[in-house]
Amino acid sequence: MMLEKRKLLFCFGLLLAMFVACMSPQILVAAPAVQPESGPTVVIIKQMHFDPHDVTVKVGGTVEWKNEDIFTHTATADDGSFDSGPIAPGTSWKTTLTHAGQIAYHCRPHPNMTAQLTVKGGGAEANTSGAGAAGSSEKAASLKWTPPTLPQEIHPILVNFTAALLPLAFLSDVLGRIFKRQSLHNAAFWTIVYAACITPFTAAAGWWWRLSLGANLPAKLITVHEWLGTATVFIFIGLGLWRWSIHKRGIPPTVAYLVCALLAVLALVYQGSLGGAMVFGR
Amino acid sequence: MKNMFLAGLIAGAMLLGPAAGRAHAQAPTDPQIAGIVQTANQIDINLAKLALKKSSNSQVKEFANQMISDHTALEKSVADLAKKLGVTPEPSATSKQLKRQAAEESKKLRSLSGKAFDQEYASHEVAFHQTVIDAATSTLIPDAKNAELKSAIQGAAPLLQGHLEHAKQLEQSLKSGS
Repeated sequence: MMLEKRKLLFCFGLLLAMFVACMSPQILVAAPAVQPESGPTVVIIKQMHFDPHDVTVKVGGTVEWKNEDIFTHTATADDGSFDSGPIAPGTSWKTTLTHAGQIAYHCRPHPNMTAQLTVKGGGAEANTSGAGAAGSSEKAASLKWTPPTLPQEIHPILVNFTAALLPLAFLSDVLGRIFKRQSLHNAAFWTIVYAACITPFTAAAGWWWRLSLGANLPAKLITVHEWLGTATVFIFIGLGLWRWSIHKRGIPPTVAYLVCALLAVLALVYQGSLGGAMVFGR
Repeated sequence: MKNMFLAGLIAGAMLLGPAAGRAHAQAPTDPQIAGIVQTANQIDINLAKLALKKSSNSQVKEFANQMISDHTALEKSVADLAKKLGVTPEPSATSKQLKRQAAEESKKLRSLSGKAFDQEYASHEVAFHQTVIDAATSTLIPDAKNAELKSAIQGAAPLLQGHLEHAKQLEQSLKSGS
């Protein structure tokens, strides 16, 4: 029994170390790699013009407007997705673009000043509204694999594991009870342990995304998503510990546990739909 | 509305008439052109100040604040340029007419209040900027002798065009709001 416990702890440790090892290069790589990527693309406002008139940035890229004119201007998206407010001469304003598509913008006090941004999608962000014109070359480019370094790349990857493991654990336990198979319960136990290990990383990547680009995410959705996501971490850990104690006693999972797991699955489905709505729109 | 259109036409005729009439005989000199630009700036700033005092409409106030800020900046750049070129702005028949017309408009605006004031102010701004743009393209730019003065007025044209479009938007939204 003692040996069993040690083995279990060893596996836990191994699993944790694996994820840390997987994540840490990302974090190390992220610091230098993100810097040039997130260096703002500069648009100069001079003599009643936005220069350059057309600017292309990647999703997650930043555009900075520097007002070198003698008049106060604004950079205001025609679709209302951003508005700088007055940019006084000699000052600047920047914004980060989180959605792919073309955005025409203008200066509010001088409606004859117009220009546009093209935001190109990368990874999960591709193909959102207005990006239809992106064509096949864009699709070919996004098929090429590059190591994920940005939170908006890492979070959707980790979400897959979180989203797959919990329903599997629940299903295995239900099937185990129906067919009275201990092996299915064992699989369920391990699966929920994996889910409890990986979900904090999923949430951390989500918070990283939210803190770096959150200003441009839909406010209402992100508020629910971030706190439900954080709650999910604790629910998963709680379920993992509960399942562990059941496993130690060598009994099939109780109905109470199964009901709680089902509720967690439903919460996860809702959470996923919020995440999808933020990236792809409703 | 019809009145405003007429006023715009008259304003245009008043500004352009003498200049056009004397185009062959006596085009405005550079000091006179600088004087005309200065006067036009001053007129728009003064009317904007009046609008800030009398209007309670946030769109009108925003527009008026923009006029004050933009025309003050424009005035300063023209004054700096004139100083650099050693040109002292001089009054002319055109600048005097502009002033006279502005005094009448100011008197009219003072007698109005509320929505009537806002609409009159917006219509005037449309007509005024149109007049100034026409004057710049037909007289001031072609007649300016100094290249820097010429290009400075050319540079101001997009600003005036922007004001004209903003004024038209304001006029439209005041109309649909009433």
